[in-house]
Amino acid sequence: MFDLQPIDTEGLQEQYHEWIEFIARAHEGSNPRVNEDPAFTPLSKPLSASRVALCTTAGAHLDDQEPFNVLTHDGDHTHRVLPDDLDPSRLRFTHTHYDTSSAEQDPNCVFPIDRLHELVERGRIGAASPVHVGMMGFNPDPSPVQDVLAPKVVDLLHDAEVDVAIMVPG
Amino acid sequence: MCHRSVGLVQGAVEASGIPTVTIAMRPDITYGVRVPRAAWARFPHGNPLGEPHQPEQHHLVLEALLQLLETAEDRSFVELPFRWRRWKKWL
Repeated sequence: MFDLQPIDTEGLQEQYHEWIEFIARAHEGSNPRVNEDPAFTPLSKPLSASRVALCTTAGAHLDDQEPFNVLTHDGDHTHRVLPDDLDPSRLRFTHTHYDTSSAEQDPNCVFPIDRLHELVERGRIGAASPVHVGMMGFNPDPSPVQDVLAPKVVDLLHDAEVDVAIMVPG
Repeated sequence: MCHRSVGLVQGAVEASGIPTVTIAMRPDITYGVRVPRAAWARFPHGNPLGEPHQPEQHHLVLEALLQLLETAEDRSFVELPFRWRRWKKWL
């Protein structure tokens, strides 16, 4: 068991507001969307019986899927369905706002698909979801992320009967 | 912005009845977006699970996330007890 201590949150809200103001100066369309009235859902069953999905905003897609649009400041709030039985060597990372070199060397740095399968083999989790979700996080305007992308991901995970989702930024 | 985007999706997934957990390399953004469960990794962007081809390191991070899923009784933001060794800024 790890000793997971709560972080010191002093100053974080101020830092967050400074970041929001910075984004608003740098990009049109920015707004301070957050999770209003944030939910908390307890586990419904042990992890050893749970189906787990990976969702990443690190720009992950397969080599035969359309790359994310990173050529404009409009962002891209589309997603790519990543089948659980994908070939990791076919993963690509289209994202211009973080250094993708580690992900290109080993996709597990941002999309731990092999690690997830090892957790299933060890019996630590029940199963991997048949589908995972690739997204690209550079979205100066968060509205379509919350209003369009998020409901699609919710539907996708429920259709796959997912019990737990691990969310990974880039 | 990766943190905000993934955090907004996380909030919707959690609200739909699926428990979620995330890794944060920018704790201020993840905190500000207000997510149910987060773990701060003092790692560089692009390396939320750690370094390439270090499966045991990746498993340490994932196990901490799973432990947080199993132990959190309300919204929780914890710090991972790991450090990035190869970049002085993150020591």
